[in-house]
Amino acid sequence: MDASLKLWLVIFVVGALNYVSRLSFIAFFARRSIPPMLARALRYVPAAMLTALIVPMVLPGPPTIVPDVPTPKVLAALVAGGVAWLTHSTLKTLVAGMVALWLLQALAARIG
Amino acid sequence: MRRVLSDSDFRAGFAEMLPACVGLIPFGLVCGVGAVAAGASIWGALGMSAIIFSGAAQIIAAQLLAVGAPVAVIILTCVVAGLRFLMYSAAIAPYLRPLPPRWQQALAFLLTDQAFAAAIRRFDAGANPHAGGLHFLGAGFALWLCWQITNVVGYFAGNLVPASWSMEFAVPLCFIALIAPHFKSAPQIGAGVLAGVAVVALDGLPMRLNLIAAGVVGIVTGTAIELAKDRWTRR
Repeated sequence: MDASLKLWLVIFVVGALNYVSRLSFIAFFARRSIPPMLARALRYVPAAMLTALIVPMVLPGPPTIVPDVPTPKVLAALVAGGVAWLTHSTLKTLVAGMVALWLLQALAARIG
Repeated sequence: MRRVLSDSDFRAGFAEMLPACVGLIPFGLVCGVGAVAAGASIWGALGMSAIIFSGAAQIIAAQLLAVGAPVAVIILTCVVAGLRFLMYSAAIAPYLRPLPPRWQQALAFLLTDQAFAAAIRRFDAGANPHAGGLHFLGAGFALWLCWQITNVVGYFAGNLVPASWSMEFAVPLCFIALIAPHFKSAPQIGAGVLAGVAVVALDGLPMRLNLIAAGVVGIVTGTAIELAKDRWTRR
């Protein structure tokens, strides 16, 4: 398939389906409450899906290689997790995580 | 239009989102860079940010397009990640019920992780539907505008940021900020941990199918732990 056709197909289909998800209970099922079993399962979508996205971005190299020594990114992610857990603030989490990463990378470069 | 833009609730919502917008700048830039890596034109990049309007889905789509995954896999993975919008939609629906359908349709489009959190806070604080809706519109519009600007800037200039700054690390940090506060109960922790283990263990799967497989493993784990807990406490 042509690359740009493929891209636009993804944009419109994902855009439309995401919009349907967003609109679902606001408009279509406005008179109905969410089925309890579905509500249960949906509560775990962010933790599951976002963790699955985060882990490969934090581990070094191909994700099959789990490092013996914690790397700067792994440690900085843990610092950020602690700050996020305590403060619930995106900005503070971002600042803490980036500063931790830069400091740890500088430290790792010095130790060599 | 002008009446909306000059409304005090709309402006309050807009202003309240500005700190969150600052936090999203690096994420938006990385999405713009991702669109370049996926081979998108500037219009394709804008289509992703303006129409999909979800950082997680855009990152997934860009990654999967770059590795040449089939359209069906890309769509499925993005949509599973977007299922969290169903949950937000259900949670915010009671507050939006008194509003006219046009308002509901517009606000649904602006329903994102950040706008949802801000709107729920506002409604829980006792805002009436009209004022809360305008506040939500202001907040959502601020996020949408900031998202378009940062994505376009990232598309053209993202590669000018020195690699040593590790700007791409802002993306997992934004996701960490979203989920870490949820990690308070056994089912939530179980869902996250098992999904994290699964995504690494299943890395051998083609077309990054490990992403969606890990998501399903996490969702099932969380639900199963919760059901087991319920059964245990009912005894």
